[in-house]
Amino acid sequence: MWFMILDRRCRRQGTQFFFSGLLVLVVIIFGSFLGQAAAASSPDPTEQFRPFLQKVTDVLADPTLKTVPKKEQSQRVINVVRERFDFREMSKRVLGQHWRSLNTQEQAQFEQLFTELLQYAYVGKIDEYTGQQVEFTQQRIKGDRAEVQTLLVDANKSIPISYILILRGTQWMAYDVVVEGVSLVRNYMEQFKEILLKDGYPGLVKQIENKISQLEQQQKQS
Amino acid sequence: MQPKPIFALLLRCCLMLCVSFLIGGGNAAANDFLSDDAYANGETAQVADPIEPVNRAIFTLNDKFYIWVLDPVATGYSKVLPADIRGCIGNFFYNLGEPVRSVNCLLQGRFRDSGLVLSRFALNTICGVFGLADTAAHEFAIPPISATLGETLATWGIGDGFYVVAPLLGPSTVRDLTGTVVDSLAMASYYPWSDDELSPYTLTGVNTVNRTSLHLGEYDQLKSLSFDPYIAFRNGYFQMRSKTRNHSQTK
Repeated sequence: MWFMILDRRCRRQGTQFFFSGLLVLVVIIFGSFLGQAAAASSPDPTEQFRPFLQKVTDVLADPTLKTVPKKEQSQRVINVVRERFDFREMSKRVLGQHWRSLNTQEQAQFEQLFTELLQYAYVGKIDEYTGQQVEFTQQRIKGDRAEVQTLLVDANKSIPISYILILRGTQWMAYDVVVEGVSLVRNYMEQFKEILLKDGYPGLVKQIENKISQLEQQQKQS
Repeated sequence: MQPKPIFALLLRCCLMLCVSFLIGGGNAAANDFLSDDAYANGETAQVADPIEPVNRAIFTLNDKFYIWVLDPVATGYSKVLPADIRGCIGNFFYNLGEPVRSVNCLLQGRFRDSGLVLSRFALNTICGVFGLADTAAHEFAIPPISATLGETLATWGIGDGFYVVAPLLGPSTVRDLTGTVVDSLAMASYYPWSDDELSPYTLTGVNTVNRTSLHLGEYDQLKSLSFDPYIAFRNGYFQMRSKTRNHSQTK
C-alpha cells in the first residue's frame, strides 16, 4: 500500500520537476534572445571610434593647422575631440566624491576649467604629430562601459592607448584615456585629492587657473 | 650534517610555490578600468608612504640629477647615434635579462610564459645577432613578457612594505626594490663582462643613457602637466606596475 502512495508522490514530484524544468528552459531561451537583442542594439565601440580617431588625425595632419596661432590650433582640435569625449563625466570622475558637494554652477565652472587644462596640456602635442597611425588592437564591453585599445604607431616605437567609454543612448563617449597603463583621470584624481584636502575647492580652482596660464606662457615662448 | 639545512630550504621553497599557486591569479580584476571601484576613492596607491618627506627629498635629488646630468648626456648621445641603433642597443641589454625573467616566471608558476621567455632568448640570441634585434617579437609573434623578483615575491604572498623612492633608480617599494637589486645581481653574475670591476658600472651607465635617449622629453612633459609631480609619479608608478603585472591579456 505505502508503495503505491510513494510511487504516486514520486510521479507528482516528477511532473512538477518536469514543469519547473521546462519553465527554466523557456526563461533561459527567452533570456538569451533578449540578451542577443540587447547586444545587437548596443553599437560597436570600435566601429564608432574608428572614424572619430581618423577625423582627429586628419585635423592634426592638415597642413593649414600649423599656420594658425596656437590658441586656434588647440580650439580646432578640441572641437573635434568634443564629439566623442564626455568632459562632464571626466570632471565628475576626477573629483570623485567631492563632485556631489559642488553646486550646479561650480560643477559647470569646474568642467570648463578642466577641459581648458586638457586643451592646453595636449596642444603641445600637436607639433609632435608627424603622421603616426592608430591601430585598433581589441575591445571589451561590460554593460554600458567599454574599453577600446589602440596602438599609436611611430617609426621606432608604438604606444598603447586605451579609451574608456560609457554608453550614452546609442553613442559611446570617452571619459578616460589610459596611456601605457596610466589612467589620466586617476592620476589627476589623486593629485586633486591632496589639494582639496589642503586648500579646499577654491584652492583647487586657483591652482588649475595658475597651471593653465603657466602652460599658456610656455606655448607663447616656444 | 651539512645537507639538512639545504633540504629544509628546498622544502620551504616548494611550500611557498604551492602557496603561490593557491593564491595566484586573484588580483587581476582589482584594477579593472571598466568597474567603478577603480575610480571610487582615488586610492591607486594602496601602498603606504610613511617616509614621504625622505622620499620627496630623494625625488628632488633624482629630478636634479635627471635635469643636470642624465638629460644633457642622453641628448648628446642621441645626436651621435641614430634611433634605430639605439633601439638595437636597448634590445641587446633587454635580451641579457631574459634568463632571469624566465626563472621568475617559473617561480610564479607561469610555466608557459617561462618557456616563451626562454625561446625568445634563444631566438633573439641566435637569429637576432646576440639580441640586437627582437626577431622573436617581429618574426615569431612572441612579444616581450615581463617578470621580476618583486612580482615573484608578491605571488608568494609577501607584502609591498612601503613606497620608496630609490636614489637614481626612482619609484619602488621595499619588496620590489629588494627584487630589483637581487635581479640585477643575478643578471650581473652571468654577464660576459663581469670579470673586470669597472665594466659592469660603465655598461649600466650606457644602458641607462641609452634608455633615456629613447624617451627624451617624456619626463619633462609629464612633470609640466602635473600639479604635484611627486604624487603624479607615485600614482603613475603603481598604475603602470599593475598593468605590467596583469598577464590576463597575454595568455
